[in-house]
Amino acid sequence: MTVPPDRGVSRRSFLKGSAVAGIATTGITAAAHATAPSKPASFGPGEHEIVLLVNGKERKVKVETRTTLLDAVRDGLDLTGAKKICDRGACGGCTMLLDGETITSCLTLAMDAVGHELQTVESLSDGDKVHPLVQNFVHCDAMQCGFCTPGMVMSSLACLQKRGKPTDAQMRHDLSGNLCRCGTYGRVMEAIQRTAVGGGK
Amino acid sequence: MKPFTYVVPQSLAEACEASQKPNTLLKGAGIDLIDRMKERLQTPEQIVNLLPLKDELAGVAVEANGELRIGALTTLTQLEQHQALAAPAFDGLRLATGMTATPQVRNRATVAGNILQFTRCWYVRSEAFHCLHGGRGPTCLAMTGENRYHSVLGWSDCVRVHPSNLAPPLLALDAEYSTRLGDKVRRRKFSELFPADPRAQNPEHTLEAGEIVTAIHVPAQPAGTRSAYCESREKLTFDWATTACAVRLVLAGGVITAANLVLGAVAPVPLPREKASALLVGQKPSAALFAKVAEMAYAGASPLAHNDYKLTIGKAIVRQALDEAVR
Repeated sequence: MTVPPDRGVSRRSFLKGSAVAGIATTGITAAAHATAPSKPASFGPGEHEIVLLVNGKERKVKVETRTTLLDAVRDGLDLTGAKKICDRGACGGCTMLLDGETITSCLTLAMDAVGHELQTVESLSDGDKVHPLVQNFVHCDAMQCGFCTPGMVMSSLACLQKRGKPTDAQMRHDLSGNLCRCGTYGRVMEAIQRTAVGGGK
Repeated sequence: MKPFTYVVPQSLAEACEASQKPNTLLKGAGIDLIDRMKERLQTPEQIVNLLPLKDELAGVAVEANGELRIGALTTLTQLEQHQALAAPAFDGLRLATGMTATPQVRNRATVAGNILQFTRCWYVRSEAFHCLHGGRGPTCLAMTGENRYHSVLGWSDCVRVHPSNLAPPLLALDAEYSTRLGDKVRRRKFSELFPADPRAQNPEHTLEAGEIVTAIHVPAQPAGTRSAYCESREKLTFDWATTACAVRLVLAGGVITAANLVLGAVAPVPLPREKASALLVGQKPSAALFAKVAEMAYAGASPLAHNDYKLTIGKAIVRQALDEAVR
Protein backbone atom coordinates (compact mmCIF):
# COMPACT_ATOMS: atom_id res chain seq x y z
CA MET A 1 0.00 0.00 0.00
CA THR A 2 1.19 3.48 -0.73
CA VAL A 3 0.46 6.47 1.39
CA PRO A 4 -2.53 8.37 -0.02
CA PRO A 5 -1.56 11.64 -1.72
CA ASP A 6 -1.97 14.94 0.07
CA ARG A 7 -5.59 15.94 -0.16
CA GLY A 8 -4.71 19.58 -0.61
CA VAL A 9 -6.82 21.58 1.80
CA SER A 10 -7.39 19.95 5.16
CA ARG A 11 -10.13 21.17 7.48
CA ARG A 12 -7.47 22.53 9.78
CA SER A 13 -5.49 24.49 7.20
CA PHE A 14 -8.76 25.82 5.79
CA LEU A 15 -9.81 27.13 9.21
CA LYS A 16 -6.38 28.62 9.78
CA GLY A 17 -6.45 30.39 6.43
CA SER A 18 -9.88 31.88 6.94
CA ALA A 19 -8.91 33.18 10.37
CA VAL A 20 -5.79 34.90 9.04
CA ALA A 21 -7.78 36.54 6.25
CA GLY A 22 -9.99 38.32 8.76
CA ILE A 23 -7.41 39.83 11.10
CA ALA A 24 -8.19 43.43 11.96
CA THR A 25 -5.72 46.10 12.94
CA THR A 26 -7.03 47.00 16.39
CA GLY A 27 -5.15 45.11 19.07
CA ILE A 28 -5.00 45.01 22.82
CA THR A 29 -2.09 43.91 24.93
CA ALA A 30 -1.26 43.93 28.61
CA ALA A 31 0.04 47.48 28.15
CA ALA A 32 -3.34 48.68 26.88
CA HIS A 33 -4.84 47.67 30.24
CA ALA A 34 -2.31 49.71 32.17
CA THR A 35 -2.59 52.90 30.16
CA ALA A 36 -6.37 53.24 30.11
CA PRO A 37 -7.74 56.67 31.10
CA SER A 38 -10.22 57.19 33.95
CA LYS A 39 -13.00 55.62 31.92
CA PRO A 40 -12.81 51.82 32.03
CA ALA A 41 -11.62 50.13 28.85
CA SER A 42 -14.39 48.36 27.04
CA PHE A 43 -14.17 45.69 24.35
CA GLY A 44 -16.53 43.91 22.04
CA PRO A 45 -19.04 42.56 21.50
CA GLY A 46 -17.46 42.15 18.03
CA GLU A 47 -14.11 40.69 17.07
CA HIS A 48 -10.80 42.28 17.95
CA GLU A 49 -7.20 41.26 18.24
CA ILE A 50 -5.47 40.43 21.50
CA VAL A 51 -1.94 39.38 22.30
CA LEU A 52 -1.45 36.21 24.29
CA LEU A 53 1.88 35.15 25.73
CA VAL A 54 1.89 31.50 24.71
CA ASN A 55 4.83 29.19 25.43
CA GLY A 56 7.15 32.19 25.76
CA LYS A 57 6.09 33.90 22.53
CA GLU A 58 3.72 36.81 21.98
CA ARG A 59 0.98 35.62 19.67
CA LYS A 60 -1.70 37.78 18.11
CA VAL A 61 -5.11 36.20 17.93
CA LYS A 62 -8.48 37.48 16.89
CA VAL A 63 -11.22 36.81 19.41
CA GLU A 64 -14.68 37.88 20.47
CA THR A 65 -15.15 38.80 24.13
CA ARG A 66 -17.04 35.53 24.55
CA THR A 67 -14.25 33.37 23.09
CA THR A 68 -12.82 30.98 25.65
CA LEU A 69 -9.08 30.64 26.05
CA LEU A 70 -9.38 27.05 24.83
CA ASP A 71 -11.10 28.10 21.60
CA ALA A 72 -8.67 30.97 21.04
CA VAL A 73 -5.68 28.64 21.38
CA ARG A 74 -7.13 25.74 19.40
CA ASP A 75 -8.93 27.58 16.61
CA GLY A 76 -7.02 30.86 16.55
CA LEU A 77 -3.47 29.66 17.15
CA ASP A 78 -3.81 26.11 15.81
CA LEU A 79 -2.41 24.67 19.03
CA THR A 80 -4.76 21.75 19.20
CA GLY A 81 -3.05 19.73 21.93
CA ALA A 82 -5.51 20.78 24.62
CA LYS A 83 -8.78 18.96 24.05
CA LYS A 84 -12.33 20.30 24.18
CA ILE A 85 -14.19 17.43 25.79
CA CYS A 86 -16.86 18.53 28.27
CA ASP A 87 -16.35 22.29 27.76
CA ARG A 88 -17.68 22.81 31.31
CA GLY A 89 -14.65 22.33 33.58
CA ALA A 90 -15.77 18.82 34.40
CA CYS A 91 -13.07 16.67 32.76
CA GLY A 92 -9.64 18.38 32.74
CA GLY A 93 -9.01 17.68 29.04
CA CYS A 94 -8.33 21.37 28.36
CA THR A 95 -5.81 21.84 31.19
CA MET A 96 -3.15 24.50 30.52
CA LEU A 97 -0.83 26.36 32.86
CA LEU A 98 -1.57 30.04 33.44
CA ASP A 99 1.25 31.72 35.35
CA GLY A 100 2.44 28.23 36.24
CA GLU A 101 -0.86 27.03 37.70
CA THR A 102 -3.20 24.50 36.11
CA ILE A 103 -6.48 25.91 34.86
CA THR A 104 -9.45 24.69 32.84
CA SER A 105 -9.10 26.81 29.72
CA CYS A 106 -12.71 26.08 28.69
CA LEU A 107 -13.96 28.12 31.68
CA THR A 108 -11.50 30.97 31.14
CA LEU A 109 -12.20 33.80 28.75
CA ALA A 110 -9.37 34.46 26.30
CA MET A 111 -9.55 38.13 27.35
CA ASP A 112 -8.79 37.14 30.94
CA ALA A 113 -5.48 35.57 29.88
CA VAL A 114 -4.08 38.80 28.38
CA GLY A 115 -0.96 39.82 30.28
CA HIS A 116 -0.45 36.36 31.77
CA GLU A 117 1.95 33.58 30.82
CA LEU A 118 0.27 30.65 29.17
CA GLN A 119 1.88 27.24 28.75
CA THR A 120 0.30 24.55 26.59
CA VAL A 121 1.28 20.94 25.99
CA GLU A 122 2.96 21.98 22.72
CA SER A 123 5.73 23.58 24.78
CA LEU A 124 6.93 20.09 25.70
CA SER A 125 8.13 19.12 22.25
CA ASP A 126 10.54 20.60 19.76
CA GLY A 127 10.31 18.54 16.59
CA ASP A 128 11.31 15.02 17.51
CA LYS A 129 12.76 16.13 20.83
CA VAL A 130 10.27 15.79 23.67
CA HIS A 131 10.27 16.67 27.35
CA PRO A 132 11.28 13.75 29.64
CA LEU A 133 7.75 13.70 31.06
CA VAL A 134 6.32 13.05 27.60
CA GLN A 135 9.00 10.43 26.96
CA ASN A 136 7.99 8.74 30.21
CA PHE A 137 4.29 8.79 29.27
CA VAL A 138 5.37 6.78 26.22
CA HIS A 139 7.75 4.54 28.16
CA CYS A 140 5.14 3.75 30.84
CA ASP A 141 2.33 3.36 28.27
CA ALA A 142 0.42 5.95 30.29
CA MET A 143 -2.37 6.37 27.79
CA GLN A 144 -4.90 4.31 25.93
CA CYS A 145 -7.26 6.34 23.75
CA GLY A 146 -5.11 9.41 24.43
CA PHE A 147 -7.88 11.96 24.65
CA CYS A 148 -7.25 12.97 28.26
CA THR A 149 -3.48 12.76 27.79
CA PRO A 150 -2.60 16.41 26.96
CA GLY A 151 -4.48 17.60 30.05
CA MET A 152 -3.05 14.78 32.13
CA VAL A 153 0.48 15.74 30.99
CA MET A 154 -0.04 19.38 32.00
CA SER A 155 -1.35 18.46 35.46
CA SER A 156 1.58 16.06 35.82
CA LEU A 157 3.99 18.81 34.80
CA ALA A 158 2.53 21.19 37.39
CA CYS A 159 2.77 18.45 40.01
CA LEU A 160 6.47 17.90 39.23
CA GLN A 161 7.23 21.62 39.16
CA LYS A 162 5.55 22.16 42.51
CA ARG A 163 6.63 19.00 44.35
CA GLY A 164 9.91 17.83 42.85
CA LYS A 165 9.52 14.23 43.97
CA PRO A 166 5.79 13.91 44.68
CA THR A 167 4.37 11.23 46.94
CA ASP A 168 1.46 9.03 45.83
CA ALA A 169 -0.96 11.16 47.84
CA GLN A 170 0.38 14.36 46.25
CA MET A 171 0.06 12.90 42.75
CA ARG A 172 -3.50 11.78 43.44
CA HIS A 173 -4.29 15.26 44.73
CA ASP A 174 -2.73 17.08 41.80
CA LEU A 175 -4.27 14.78 39.17
CA SER A 176 -7.71 14.81 40.78
CA GLY A 177 -9.03 17.26 38.20
CA ASN A 178 -8.29 15.04 35.21
CA LEU A 179 -10.62 12.22 34.27
CA CYS A 180 -9.41 9.23 32.25
CA ARG A 181 -12.12 6.94 30.97
CA CYS A 182 -9.56 4.26 30.10
CA GLY A 183 -8.28 4.21 33.68
CA THR A 184 -4.60 4.96 33.03
CA TYR A 185 -4.08 6.77 36.34
CA GLY A 186 -1.63 4.22 37.75
CA ARG A 187 0.63 4.47 34.72
CA VAL A 188 0.42 8.26 34.68
CA MET A 189 1.71 8.20 38.24
CA GLU A 190 4.51 5.85 37.16
CA ALA A 191 5.43 8.31 34.41
CA ILE A 192 5.57 11.17 36.91
CA GLN A 193 7.72 9.15 39.30
CA ARG A 194 10.07 8.12 36.51
CA THR A 195 10.45 11.77 35.49
CA ALA A 196 11.07 12.82 39.09
CA VAL A 197 14.07 10.51 39.36
CA GLY A 198 15.55 11.66 36.07
CA GLY A 199 14.20 9.05 33.66
CA GLY A 200 13.33 9.74 30.04
CA LYS A 201 16.18 12.13 29.30
CA MET B 1 -22.61 32.24 24.70
CA LYS B 2 -24.33 35.36 23.41
CA PRO B 3 -22.01 38.26 22.54
CA PHE B 4 -21.40 40.88 25.24
CA THR B 5 -19.34 43.96 25.97
CA TYR B 6 -16.38 43.28 28.26
CA VAL B 7 -15.45 46.09 30.62
CA VAL B 8 -12.04 46.30 32.29
CA PRO B 9 -12.27 48.63 35.30
CA GLN B 10 -9.13 50.20 36.76
CA SER B 11 -10.62 50.72 40.21
CA LEU B 12 -13.44 49.53 42.42
CA ALA B 13 -15.18 52.87 41.88
CA GLU B 14 -15.11 52.31 38.11
CA ALA B 15 -16.43 48.78 38.54
CA CYS B 16 -19.27 50.10 40.71
CA GLU B 17 -20.17 52.71 38.14
CA ALA B 18 -20.03 50.30 35.21
CA SER B 19 -22.15 47.76 37.06
CA GLN B 20 -25.07 50.21 37.26
CA LYS B 21 -25.80 49.77 33.57
CA PRO B 22 -28.84 47.54 32.96
CA ASN B 23 -28.29 43.91 31.97
CA THR B 24 -24.77 43.92 33.40
CA LEU B 25 -23.19 41.06 35.30
CA LEU B 26 -20.05 41.11 37.41
CA LYS B 27 -17.44 38.44 36.77
CA GLY B 28 -14.64 37.12 38.98
CA ALA B 29 -12.98 34.03 37.51
CA GLY B 30 -16.31 33.24 35.85
CA ILE B 31 -16.19 29.50 36.64
CA ASP B 32 -19.92 29.36 37.36
CA LEU B 33 -20.95 32.33 35.21
CA ILE B 34 -19.30 31.15 31.95
CA ASP B 35 -20.92 27.76 32.47
CA ARG B 36 -24.35 29.40 32.77
CA MET B 37 -23.69 31.69 29.82
CA LYS B 38 -22.78 28.69 27.67
CA GLU B 39 -26.14 27.19 28.62
CA ARG B 40 -27.78 30.54 27.73
CA LEU B 41 -29.20 30.78 31.23
CA GLN B 42 -27.53 34.20 31.43
CA THR B 43 -27.34 36.50 28.46
CA PRO B 44 -25.87 39.77 29.75
CA GLU B 45 -25.18 42.67 27.40
CA GLN B 46 -22.22 43.71 29.49
CA ILE B 47 -19.73 41.88 31.72
CA VAL B 48 -17.62 43.83 34.20
CA ASN B 49 -14.42 41.87 34.74
CA LEU B 50 -13.34 42.27 38.36
CA LEU B 51 -10.04 40.38 37.98
CA PRO B 52 -7.98 43.57 37.31
CA LEU B 53 -8.93 44.62 40.87
CA LYS B 54 -7.02 41.74 42.43
CA ASP B 55 -4.49 44.10 44.03
CA GLU B 56 -7.33 45.66 45.95
CA LEU B 57 -9.67 42.72 46.42
CA ALA B 58 -7.52 39.59 46.73
CA GLY B 59 -5.41 38.17 49.51
CA VAL B 60 -5.73 37.08 53.12
CA ALA B 61 -4.64 39.36 55.97
CA VAL B 62 -4.76 39.19 59.73
CA GLU B 63 -5.96 42.54 61.08
CA ALA B 64 -4.68 44.22 64.25
CA ASN B 65 -7.66 42.88 66.23
CA GLY B 66 -6.91 39.32 65.12
CA GLU B 67 -9.70 39.30 62.58
CA LEU B 68 -9.08 37.47 59.32
CA ARG B 69 -9.82 39.55 56.22
CA ILE B 70 -10.31 37.44 53.11
CA GLY B 71 -10.42 39.46 49.90
CA ALA B 72 -13.36 38.57 47.67
CA LEU B 73 -11.10 37.72 44.72
CA THR B 74 -8.75 35.48 46.70
CA THR B 75 -8.55 32.16 44.89
CA LEU B 76 -9.51 28.98 46.71
CA THR B 77 -5.93 27.72 46.34
CA GLN B 78 -4.58 30.91 47.96
CA LEU B 79 -7.08 30.62 50.80
CA GLU B 80 -6.39 26.95 51.45
CA GLN B 81 -2.64 27.44 51.52
CA HIS B 82 -2.54 30.64 53.57
CA GLN B 83 -0.69 30.19 56.85
CA ALA B 84 -3.41 32.03 58.79
CA LEU B 85 -5.70 29.07 58.09
CA ALA B 86 -3.29 26.61 59.71
CA ALA B 87 -4.78 27.28 63.19
CA PRO B 88 -7.15 24.54 64.49
CA ALA B 89 -9.96 27.10 64.69
CA PHE B 90 -9.89 27.28 60.88
CA ASP B 91 -9.55 23.55 60.11
CA GLY B 92 -13.14 23.45 58.87
CA LEU B 93 -12.74 26.37 56.50
CA ARG B 94 -9.42 25.08 55.17
CA LEU B 95 -10.73 21.55 54.58
CA ALA B 96 -13.91 22.82 52.91
CA THR B 97 -11.83 24.95 50.57
CA GLY B 98 -9.49 22.10 49.65
CA MET B 99 -12.39 19.73 48.94
CA THR B 100 -13.96 22.06 46.42
CA ALA B 101 -13.99 20.97 42.77
CA THR B 102 -10.53 20.33 41.25
CA PRO B 103 -7.04 21.85 41.46
CA GLN B 104 -7.67 23.56 38.10
CA VAL B 105 -10.88 25.17 39.37
CA ARG B 106 -9.44 26.12 42.78
CA ASN B 107 -6.52 27.86 41.06
CA ARG B 108 -9.00 30.22 39.36
CA ALA B 109 -12.20 30.24 41.39
CA THR B 110 -12.62 33.08 43.87
CA VAL B 111 -13.94 33.02 47.42
CA ALA B 112 -16.86 35.33 46.58
CA GLY B 113 -17.61 33.33 43.45
CA ASN B 114 -17.84 30.11 45.44
CA ILE B 115 -20.23 31.69 47.93
CA LEU B 116 -22.40 33.41 45.31
CA GLN B 117 -22.63 30.58 42.80
CA PHE B 118 -25.93 29.46 41.37
CA THR B 119 -27.53 26.20 42.44
CA ARG B 120 -26.49 23.05 40.58
CA CYS B 121 -30.07 21.71 40.30
CA TRP B 122 -30.11 19.96 36.93
CA TYR B 123 -33.55 21.26 36.06
CA VAL B 124 -32.80 24.95 36.51
CA ARG B 125 -29.36 24.49 34.93
CA SER B 126 -30.88 23.29 31.67
CA GLU B 127 -32.79 25.75 29.54
CA ALA B 128 -34.89 22.88 28.20
CA PHE B 129 -36.69 22.42 31.52
CA HIS B 130 -39.48 24.84 32.39
CA CYS B 131 -38.74 25.17 36.07
CA LEU B 132 -40.03 27.65 38.62
CA HIS B 133 -36.70 28.86 40.03
CA GLY B 134 -35.46 29.59 36.51
CA GLY B 135 -38.62 31.64 35.87
CA ARG B 136 -39.45 29.34 32.99
CA GLY B 137 -42.38 27.37 34.34
CA PRO B 138 -45.11 27.06 36.96
CA THR B 139 -43.68 24.37 39.27
CA CYS B 140 -40.51 22.92 40.76
CA LEU B 141 -39.75 19.97 38.49
CA ALA B 142 -37.29 18.43 40.95
CA MET B 143 -39.97 18.13 43.62
CA THR B 144 -41.67 15.34 41.69
CA GLY B 145 -38.81 14.40 39.37
CA GLU B 146 -35.22 13.22 39.76
CA ASN B 147 -34.38 14.63 43.15
CA ARG B 148 -31.65 12.54 44.73
CA TYR B 149 -29.35 15.56 45.07
CA HIS B 150 -32.02 17.96 46.31
CA SER B 151 -33.22 19.41 49.61
CA VAL B 152 -34.41 17.54 52.66
CA LEU B 153 -34.75 20.59 54.92
CA GLY B 154 -36.00 24.17 54.80
CA TRP B 155 -37.66 24.06 51.39
CA SER B 156 -41.05 25.37 50.37
CA ASP B 157 -41.80 25.70 46.64
CA CYS B 158 -38.30 24.91 45.29
CA VAL B 159 -36.05 22.05 46.42
CA ARG B 160 -32.70 23.29 45.06
CA VAL B 161 -29.67 23.01 47.35
CA HIS B 162 -27.07 25.66 48.01
CA PRO B 163 -23.81 24.38 46.50
CA SER B 164 -21.15 26.46 48.28
CA ASN B 165 -18.50 24.62 50.30
CA LEU B 166 -17.27 27.78 51.96
CA ALA B 167 -20.61 29.10 53.21
CA PRO B 168 -21.22 26.52 56.01
CA PRO B 169 -17.80 26.93 57.69
CA LEU B 170 -17.94 30.73 57.34
CA LEU B 171 -21.38 30.78 59.00
CA ALA B 172 -20.05 28.52 61.75
CA LEU B 173 -17.20 30.99 62.34
CA ASP B 174 -19.65 33.95 62.66
CA ALA B 175 -18.13 35.63 59.60
CA GLU B 176 -19.27 38.95 58.13
CA TYR B 177 -19.09 40.32 54.62
CA SER B 178 -18.44 43.76 53.16
CA THR B 179 -19.97 45.06 49.98
CA ARG B 180 -19.92 48.16 47.89
CA LEU B 181 -22.87 49.45 45.93
CA GLY B 182 -22.17 52.76 44.20
CA ASP B 183 -20.62 54.90 46.97
CA LYS B 184 -22.26 52.89 49.73
CA VAL B 185 -20.03 50.57 51.76
CA ARG B 186 -21.78 48.05 53.98
CA ARG B 187 -20.73 45.31 56.38
CA ARG B 188 -23.23 42.70 57.54
CA LYS B 189 -23.54 39.32 59.23
CA PHE B 190 -22.78 36.50 56.84
CA SER B 191 -26.24 34.99 57.40
CA GLU B 192 -27.79 38.09 55.78
CA LEU B 193 -26.18 37.13 52.49
CA PHE B 194 -28.73 34.34 52.08
CA PRO B 195 -32.52 34.76 51.74
CA ALA B 196 -34.48 34.17 54.96
CA ASP B 197 -37.27 32.75 52.81
CA PRO B 198 -35.52 30.77 50.06
CA ARG B 199 -38.48 30.24 47.79
CA ALA B 200 -38.20 29.80 44.04
CA GLN B 201 -38.63 33.49 43.22
CA ASN B 202 -35.71 34.50 45.45
CA PRO B 203 -32.17 34.26 44.17
CA GLU B 204 -29.41 32.34 45.96
CA HIS B 205 -28.19 35.50 47.67
CA THR B 206 -29.56 38.85 48.82
CA LEU B 207 -27.16 41.18 46.95
CA GLU B 208 -28.68 44.04 44.97
CA ALA B 209 -27.93 44.44 41.27
CA GLY B 210 -24.42 45.84 40.92
CA GLU B 211 -23.51 45.26 44.57
CA ILE B 212 -19.94 43.97 44.82
CA VAL B 213 -18.72 41.74 47.65
CA THR B 214 -15.32 43.11 48.59
CA ALA B 215 -14.24 40.98 51.56
CA ILE B 216 -15.19 38.31 54.07
CA HIS B 217 -14.26 38.94 57.70
CA VAL B 218 -13.71 36.10 60.15
CA PRO B 219 -13.51 37.27 63.77
CA ALA B 220 -10.61 36.23 66.00
CA GLN B 221 -11.58 32.94 67.62
CA PRO B 222 -11.34 32.40 71.40
CA ALA B 223 -8.68 30.06 72.81
CA GLY B 224 -9.84 26.46 72.65
CA THR B 225 -11.75 26.90 69.39
CA ARG B 226 -11.86 23.84 67.18
CA SER B 227 -13.62 23.40 63.89
CA ALA B 228 -14.25 20.73 61.30
CA TYR B 229 -15.96 20.24 57.96
CA CYS B 230 -17.10 16.91 56.58
CA GLU B 231 -19.14 16.03 53.57
CA SER B 232 -20.61 12.95 51.92
CA ARG B 233 -20.23 12.62 48.17
CA GLU B 234 -20.29 9.94 45.51
CA LYS B 235 -16.65 10.34 44.49
CA LEU B 236 -13.60 10.96 46.67
CA THR B 237 -12.63 14.05 44.68
CA PHE B 238 -14.05 16.21 41.91
CA ASP B 239 -17.63 16.00 43.16
CA TRP B 240 -20.40 17.95 44.83
CA ALA B 241 -21.39 17.20 48.39
CA THR B 242 -24.58 15.21 48.92
CA THR B 243 -24.57 16.38 52.54
CA ALA B 244 -22.12 18.59 54.44
CA CYS B 245 -21.60 19.69 58.02
CA ALA B 246 -19.42 22.46 59.41
CA VAL B 247 -18.94 22.78 63.16
CA ARG B 248 -17.15 25.21 65.39
CA LEU B 249 -16.74 24.36 69.07
CA VAL B 250 -15.05 26.16 71.94
CA LEU B 251 -13.67 23.73 74.52
CA ALA B 252 -12.69 24.76 78.04
CA GLY B 253 -11.60 22.18 80.60
CA GLY B 254 -13.09 19.36 78.54
CA VAL B 255 -16.49 21.06 78.32
CA ILE B 256 -18.04 22.60 75.21
CA THR B 257 -18.74 26.24 76.03
CA ALA B 258 -19.92 27.41 72.60
CA ALA B 259 -21.05 25.63 69.45
CA ASN B 260 -22.16 26.43 65.93
CA LEU B 261 -23.36 23.66 63.66
CA VAL B 262 -24.24 24.41 60.04
CA LEU B 263 -25.48 22.01 57.36
CA GLY B 264 -24.66 22.33 53.68
CA ALA B 265 -26.03 20.71 50.50
CA VAL B 266 -29.32 19.73 52.12
CA ALA B 267 -31.39 22.94 51.85
CA PRO B 268 -31.83 25.91 49.49
CA VAL B 269 -29.51 27.92 51.77
CA PRO B 270 -26.61 26.93 54.03
CA LEU B 271 -28.50 26.04 57.19
CA PRO B 272 -27.41 26.91 60.76
CA ARG B 273 -28.98 24.43 63.21
CA GLU B 274 -29.38 26.38 66.44
CA LYS B 275 -31.21 23.70 68.44
CA ALA B 276 -28.58 21.09 67.62
CA SER B 277 -25.84 23.57 68.55
CA ALA B 278 -27.56 24.35 71.85
CA LEU B 279 -27.52 20.66 72.82
CA LEU B 280 -23.71 20.76 72.76
CA VAL B 281 -23.21 23.74 75.06
CA GLY B 282 -22.26 22.89 78.65
CA GLN B 283 -21.67 19.22 77.77
CA LYS B 284 -18.61 17.00 77.60
CA PRO B 285 -18.03 15.45 74.15
CA SER B 286 -19.33 11.90 73.90
CA ALA B 287 -20.62 9.53 71.23
CA ALA B 288 -24.06 9.54 72.85
CA LEU B 289 -24.19 13.34 72.84
CA PHE B 290 -23.07 13.57 69.22
CA ALA B 291 -25.70 11.01 68.16
CA LYS B 292 -28.37 13.11 69.87
CA VAL B 293 -27.05 16.27 68.18
CA ALA B 294 -27.06 14.56 64.77
CA GLU B 295 -30.71 13.57 65.24
CA MET B 296 -31.57 17.15 66.22
CA ALA B 297 -29.66 18.56 63.23
CA TYR B 298 -32.02 16.68 60.91
CA ALA B 299 -35.16 17.10 63.05
CA GLY B 300 -38.13 18.19 60.98
CA ALA B 301 -36.60 16.98 57.70
CA SER B 302 -38.92 16.40 54.75
CA PRO B 303 -37.07 14.17 52.29
CA LEU B 304 -38.26 13.75 48.73
CA ALA B 305 -38.92 10.50 46.82
CA HIS B 306 -35.25 9.80 46.02
CA ASN B 307 -33.21 11.46 48.75
CA ASP B 308 -34.10 10.05 52.15
CA TYR B 309 -30.61 8.52 52.12
CA LYS B 310 -29.42 12.05 52.92
CA LEU B 311 -30.87 11.74 56.43
CA THR B 312 -28.90 8.58 57.21
CA ILE B 313 -25.65 9.79 55.66
CA GLY B 314 -26.14 13.37 56.84
CA LYS B 315 -26.43 12.34 60.49
CA ALA B 316 -23.28 10.21 60.17
CA ILE B 317 -21.49 13.21 58.66
CA VAL B 318 -22.61 15.40 61.59
CA ARG B 319 -21.19 12.84 64.03
CA GLN B 320 -17.97 12.62 62.02
CA ALA B 321 -17.56 16.41 61.97
CA LEU B 322 -18.08 16.59 65.75
CA ASP B 323 -15.65 13.71 66.32
CA GLU B 324 -13.02 15.43 64.18
CA ALA B 325 -13.55 18.77 65.91
CA VAL B 326 -12.82 17.33 69.37
CA ARG B 327 -10.10 14.92 68.27
